[in-house]
Amino acid sequence: MLNTMRCAKCGLTQLVTPTCKSCGTASGHPSRPPSLRLVPPSTPAAPIRSVVEPLDTSPASPPPPVDDGIEGHQTQRLSFHGIGGSLFGIYLVNIFRTLITLGAYHFWGTVRVRAYLLSESEFEGDRFAYHGTGRELLNGSLKAGFVFGVLIVCFNALPFLPGPGAQFAGAAIAYGLFLVLVPVAMVGARRYRLSRTSWRNIRFSFRGRTRDFVALFVGHFLLTVLTLSFYYPIFATKRYAFLVSHSYLGNQSFGFDGRGRDLFGSFLLAVLLTLPTLGLCWFWFLARKQRYWWDHTSFGAARFHSTVTGGRLLRLHAGNLLLFVLTLGLGWAWVVVRQVRFAFAYLAIEGPLDLGAVRQEAQGATATGDGLDSLMDMDSGFAVG
Amino acid sequence: MQREWTGFYLDGQVANRQRATIQLLPNGLYITTESGKTLSWAYNDIRQTQGFYAGEQVRLEHGGPITEVLLVSDAAFLSGLYQLVPRLASRLHDPSRRRTRGLLTLLAATAAIGIVVVAFRWGIPAVVAFAAPRVPVAWEKRLGEAVVAQIVPPEHRCDDPILQRRLNEIFAALTAPIPRSPYTFQVIVADDPTLNAFAAPGGSIVLLRGLVERTATPEEAAGVLAHEAQHVIKRHSTRALLQHASTGLLVGTLTGDASGIAAFGLDAARTVGLLRYSRDHEAEADAEGMRMVLAAGIDPSGMIAFYELLAREGPAIPGVLEYASSHPSTAQRIERLRALSAGAPAPSINWGDAEEWVTVRTRCRAESQPPSPEATPS
Repeated sequence: MLNTMRCAKCGLTQLVTPTCKSCGTASGHPSRPPSLRLVPPSTPAAPIRSVVEPLDTSPASPPPPVDDGIEGHQTQRLSFHGIGGSLFGIYLVNIFRTLITLGAYHFWGTVRVRAYLLSESEFEGDRFAYHGTGRELLNGSLKAGFVFGVLIVCFNALPFLPGPGAQFAGAAIAYGLFLVLVPVAMVGARRYRLSRTSWRNIRFSFRGRTRDFVALFVGHFLLTVLTLSFYYPIFATKRYAFLVSHSYLGNQSFGFDGRGRDLFGSFLLAVLLTLPTLGLCWFWFLARKQRYWWDHTSFGAARFHSTVTGGRLLRLHAGNLLLFVLTLGLGWAWVVVRQVRFAFAYLAIEGPLDLGAVRQEAQGATATGDGLDSLMDMDSGFAVG
Repeated sequence: MQREWTGFYLDGQVANRQRATIQLLPNGLYITTESGKTLSWAYNDIRQTQGFYAGEQVRLEHGGPITEVLLVSDAAFLSGLYQLVPRLASRLHDPSRRRTRGLLTLLAATAAIGIVVVAFRWGIPAVVAFAAPRVPVAWEKRLGEAVVAQIVPPEHRCDDPILQRRLNEIFAALTAPIPRSPYTFQVIVADDPTLNAFAAPGGSIVLLRGLVERTATPEEAAGVLAHEAQHVIKRHSTRALLQHASTGLLVGTLTGDASGIAAFGLDAARTVGLLRYSRDHEAEADAEGMRMVLAAGIDPSGMIAFYELLAREGPAIPGVLEYASSHPSTAQRIERLRALSAGAPAPSINWGDAEEWVTVRTRCRAESQPPSPEATPS
C-alpha cells in the first residue's frame, strides 16, 4: 500500500500525512498538498480514479482487510436489502395501531418505517441505524402544529382585515412567514434526521446555522422570482451546497464544490424543450442535476459518483406511478423499495475512505423541523446529500 | 450448545469496528475485542435494535445516550442465548416467531379493513350528527363570510337597490312565520350568467344573475330562496364540512399524510365552496323549503314551475345547481313537491303581475352593461 502508513506510536493505519491523525506523532513523511495525497510518490499527478482503480484490480495487491482504518481504494456502493413485503407488513400493522389509537401511533409507526429502511441499507458490510423515537416525533409535531396553526389563523384572518392596505400588509406578512418557515423546516428536518442516523455507531449531524440558511433561501428565492425562475439552477445548487457541506459523519464533514452556473445550460435546454417533449425532458435535467451534484460531493478524500440517466429516471417514475395507481396505493411499500434501490444502484463512492479519522461528535436536535417538514409535505429525505 | 460466538464491536467513539468474541454467561455477555479490551454486559442492560428481519445482523446496544454496539451476523446466536437464558426470548426478538408475526400482520390488516368500513359507514355519520348541532352559529357565520368573500367578491355583486329590495321582501315573507332563528339571512345577487344558487353556512344566500333572470315569477324565486334557506337552517354545509373533514382525517390516518390535513386547515373556505350536498340533504331542503313556502302563504306552483325548468334545462347547462346532477331525476323531486303541496289552502300572498317581475329580474344586467335585446331571455 503505497499511500498508507502506520503510526509508530499508536499503531493506527492511515493516509500518509506528516503527523498521525490520532496521536499527533510526527510520521517522518513530507507534507503534500491534499489533492495529491492519493497519488503514489513515483506517479505524477493524474486523475484520481485512474490512479486509484488499478490498485484494487491488481491481483498482486489484494483488497485491504475491512478493519485496517483505510477502506475502499475501490469503488464502493451502498446496498439495500429491504423487500416490499416486509415494508408492507410494517405498513399494515402501523395502520391498524394508528386506527385503534386514534392516530397517536402514527409517530411510532414513522419510526418503524425509518428504522427498517436504514437497517436494510448497508455500506462496507455494516447497516445504518435509526435512533429517533416516537415520543420525539410527537413532541416535534405538536410544536410544528402550533407554529403551523398560527400561520393558518393568519391566512384565514386576511379577509377580515379592514381596508385593502391592511389586507395587503397582512398577506405580505403571512406569505413572508411561510417563506421563512420553508427553509426552517428543511434545515430542522435534516438536522433531526441526521442526528438520529448512524453508521458504524457514529452519528451523522448537520451543523449549519438555521438563520444562515433562511437568509440564503429567502434571498435566492426572491432572485429566482425576479429572474422569472432562470436563476433556479443556481438557487437549487446553493441550497444543496449548504445542506451538504454542513453535514457530518462524526467529526468529518461532507464537501461540495459544484457551481450552479454549470447546470444553467441544461436548465435552459430543458425549458426550451418543455413544449416539444411534453415536459419529459425534465427527467433528463433532473438526472443531469443529480449526477452533477453527486459528482461534486465528497467525504474526506472520497468522492461520490452518480451514473443516473434521464431514461432510467423516467422508467422508474413511470413504473412507480403504474404500481401505485394499479394497486390503488397499496403498492406504496414496493414503490419506496424501488426508489431506494434505484438511488443506491446509480451511486458510487470512489477513492479512499479514511475511517480511522472519523470520531464520534454527536449533536443535539429537536424534531420540530421534522414535524414542520411533514406538515408542509416537503419530504427532505433521510439520505445524506 | 454453542457458548462462544464471534461478531463485531463498535465502541461509539471511532468508525472502525473490531472483531470480538462473545461468551454467553448466565448473567450477561462477556466480550473480548481484538484490541484486548474486555467487557461484561448484564442482560438487563442490553437492547436489541436490529435483526428483526431475515438477513439483518443482530445488533445489541449497551449504555447510552451514545451506545456501545455488538453485531452478530448469525441469527442462531439468539437461539443459543434463549437456550441459556429463556426469559430473554420475550424481551429480545425471537426469529422462530417470524411466522406468527406474519399471521398477526394479516390479522391486523383484516381488523384495519373492518375498522375503516365501520368508521365510514357508522362512525363518521355519528360524529357529524353529534358535532353539527354543537358548532356555534358565530363560527358558521365567520366561515360563511369567508366563503362568500372568496367566491363572490364585492365587485362581482349586483347592488341594484330595486332588485335587492324586491328579493328582501320575498325573503321576509318566507321567514315571517318562523318563530325565531339564530341566523341573520342575507340575499346576495352575483353578476354571473350561470343558472345557479348556493347557501353559505351562517345565512348568506347567493343567487347568480343567470338564475334570477330565468325565474318567471316572484314565487319561483321564493321557491329557490326557501330551498337555500333550509340548507342554512338544517346546517347542511356544516354537516358536509364535518363529513369532509372527518373523512379527510381518516384518509390522512390511513396514508400517514399530515400535509393533506394541514392544507385542509389552510383552505377551509375554498373547500366549502367545492362541497356538494348529499341526496338526503337535497331532499330535506326540498321538503322543508316547500313547507316554508306553504307556511308563508306563497303559491307553491311557482317553486314547482322552477324545478320543471331545471328538469328541462338542467343537464344541458353546466353547473346547474350542480348538486342536481347527483340526483337520479329531478322528476322525482318534482313529484315529491307536488305531493307535499297537494291540498294546500289558497295562497294568501299576491305579488302582483309577472310583467313587473320581468323588468325587476333583469336590473342586475341593466346595471352592469347596456341592455341588448338579443341578450334578454325570452
